Amino acid sequence: MLRPVTSIRRLAGALAFCLIVPALAAEPQSPDMVKNGLHILAGIYGDMDRKLTAGQYDRLPHENQEFEEGSGALRDAVAHDPAAFKDKVEAALKESLAAAQKVADESKSHDKSKVSAALASLASSMKALNALFPPALRAEPGTVDPPWVKHQK
Amino acid sequence: MRIRHAPAVTVTRRGVLVVAVTLPLGGLFQAALAANPAKHVDLDISSDGDLLAFRPDHLSCPAGASVHLTFYHTGKYVSQDHDWVLTRPGAAEAVAQAALEASEKSRWVPGKDPRVLAATPPCAKGQQVSVDFTAPAPGDYPFLCTTPGHGAVMHGVLHVTPG
Repeated sequence: MLRPVTSIRRLAGALAFCLIVPALAAEPQSPDMVKNGLHILAGIYGDMDRKLTAGQYDRLPHENQEFEEGSGALRDAVAHDPAAFKDKVEAALKESLAAAQKVADESKSHDKSKVSAALASLASSMKALNALFPPALRAEPGTVDPPWVKHQK
Repeated sequence: MRIRHAPAVTVTRRGVLVVAVTLPLGGLFQAALAANPAKHVDLDISSDGDLLAFRPDHLSCPAGASVHLTFYHTGKYVSQDHDWVLTRPGAAEAVAQAALEASEKSRWVPGKDPRVLAATPPCAKGQQVSVDFTAPAPGDYPFLCTTPGHGAVMHGVLHVTPG
């Protein structure tokens, strides 16, 4: 039978391992590139949102193309990360790309409620993508301006 | 009939001296102004990579200057065009809205809008475009990208200082 002190130590060690390993996995090799990639996608999402608000449905397929192009920035950003982490990012990115494609597809209907629903689904998938990275690097959909940009009109 | 005499004018040496010095100086000043046309200013601005932002987002030049502005599209991934459009104070939002609401066929043309003071042509990624204009009166003038949807976030201010 283990002594209580040893058990507590082992338990604490296991707990620390569980906490530290995921944290390390979420810390990418190129944080600035990741931040840039996530902000590019958030920016395009914002652009889609503005076009939906303005009823510019015909422009949404073009935004989808830009989203696809912008995803290249995130792929490049995690290119040197461990394969397991890269796979997670790729899977989440594919979800977002499929959701962006859905926005483009629904835009043909010119039905605001359908396009809004597709856009909301894109936002959810992007939140899941962002969650793979440390909070300081994230760019949640809807945060249109990159945080370092302070404008005056 | 009474004849009114003009008051006597006393001509002093000092007066003669002042006139003798200031007249040629005035002429020199006029000549200097004519030989010194508006100051020429080169301004450089770029997109913030693929992000919808200008870098820098604040520019400055003196009033009346002859400005040559070059815009560099530093994007690498996204094939979105940008432009640089200078508007009258307070007109940026309306200009951005006009660009956003224009239909795909009748694309909004910045140069034809009276609210626009200067505009580059659209610029593709990796390219550069430029525009020449005379800096307006001192004040803060907004600039933005009029690619539909960009103006809401891709904008800045040109500070025109007294010449």
